[in-house]
Amino acid sequence: MWNSKALNQFAKRAWDVLKWKVVFVASLAIVLVLAPMGARGQFGLDPCCAMISVGLNTISGLLKNVVAKPLSSIQQIQQQAANFQQQVVYPTGAINSARGLAGQMQGQLRQINQLYRLPVNSATLPGPQQFEQSLLSHNPQAMPQVSQNYAAVYGTVMAPADAPQPIRDLVDMTDAEAQAALKKAVQLDALADIELAAADQINRQIQNAAPGSAPILEAQAAAWVVRANAYTQSAMAELIRVRSIDLANAGAQLKFSASDTNTLRNNTGQALGHGVQ
Amino acid sequence: MLALSLVATVLLMPVAARADVAEIILLLKTITSTLQNGVGQVLSGIQSIQNTVRNFEQQIVWPVTLINQTRASVQEVRAQFTGLAGQIHGIPTSSATLVNPSRLEALLRSQQAGSVSQISASYAQVYQVLPQPNQATASQRNLMDVDDALALGALKTAVVSDQASEQMLSVADGIEQQAAAAAPGSASILTAQAQTANLQNQAMLQRMLAAELRQEAARLAHTNALRKQSAEATRELRNHMQQIFSRP
Repeated sequence: MWNSKALNQFAKRAWDVLKWKVVFVASLAIVLVLAPMGARGQFGLDPCCAMISVGLNTISGLLKNVVAKPLSSIQQIQQQAANFQQQVVYPTGAINSARGLAGQMQGQLRQINQLYRLPVNSATLPGPQQFEQSLLSHNPQAMPQVSQNYAAVYGTVMAPADAPQPIRDLVDMTDAEAQAALKKAVQLDALADIELAAADQINRQIQNAAPGSAPILEAQAAAWVVRANAYTQSAMAELIRVRSIDLANAGAQLKFSASDTNTLRNNTGQALGHGVQ
Repeated sequence: MLALSLVATVLLMPVAARADVAEIILLLKTITSTLQNGVGQVLSGIQSIQNTVRNFEQQIVWPVTLINQTRASVQEVRAQFTGLAGQIHGIPTSSATLVNPSRLEALLRSQQAGSVSQISASYAQVYQVLPQPNQATASQRNLMDVDDALALGALKTAVVSDQASEQMLSVADGIEQQAAAAAPGSASILTAQAQTANLQNQAMLQRMLAAELRQEAARLAHTNALRKQSAEATRELRNHMQQIFSRP
């Protein structure tokens, strides 16, 4: 009896304690039972799955034919183009060979430059020696000395009492042109030095040039050639002036002779006229 | 607490995901259409462009046959003209007959810069040395010395220039030889080298031109100096005449 009563009390207390938990578990079970599950075909393939399968097969076929084939073809074309560029247009061997030639050429060109550094002076007397030194100096800053040394060797314009004004004008003009030509020669030597240095530097760059960068160096070298041509042209103009002054001197000489002859004839005529009277 | 947990479970429980079959089919059709029209056509277009570019490059811009023909043409021109030009350039032009002039001429046309130091002595044998101070006035001796110096300077420069020309011809030959084996991509490197050689050639030409300018200027200055000396001589003559006539 006691046992039955105690058991009931124990069950009551246990129910009190576990009541909400039982409710919770039961509710959870109901929710899980009622929750939606994946729809599965009961007999064979679900019609929806069959349609999706057909659609996916179509997409797979399209990927193979419409996407993969052109991509493969593009890859093939790209490969052929790469081979063509590497073997025909830009073969590494030919590029390295051209660079190698630049190295060889630089050696040869430096030898040529050294040739022009050989001394070519020959004057023996002090005046001409100084004059020659300034002429062959390659130094534009030495140009003022050209005029001083020139006067020491070739003299200055004669005094007014020593020659008629036309002769003095001619002599002064001739000296001016001769000195200008000599100064231009000093300039030209200095410019040639600069051009050779520029060529050497560009050539050094060419030894490391790529086909894509070589045209830039080519353009720079071409610009220097144009510049050098302009300097050469300027020197040619000076040469023409020197020769023109020489020609003009010859013409002036004839004119002076004609004038002198005329004066002599007039004087002779006057002298003879006086004699008759 | 338990109630809260239950509510949360209910709330978080996935609702039955049911897609309409028609929507799935529509989606597949859209993908198919995109693959066919969007991707497929664009890829086909890219393929066509790539093909055109490849054909253009290989047939129009860099046709292999034409490149090979050009290389052969370089070799042909080289074989046809380079040797011939070299032969013409090598024809001797010496003409002196006597011993001293022949020796000087040989030195002048030696194309060897090493022989420059011998030119002055040989020149003196043909054109004589300066007169002694008692044989000519100082101004005359200066004039002769500077004339000789500038003439010798120009002659020596010509010898140096001849050797430089020979080396430059060798450079040109090397470039041409490389051109015969060049590819379109390496030709620009050779062209750049040819341009720098051209620049150096210009510099050498300027050196020669400078020597010519000195020569021409010296000739002009020489003639002018003679005029000055003539005026000086006239003045001295006039002075002497005045002295003579003024004597009682």
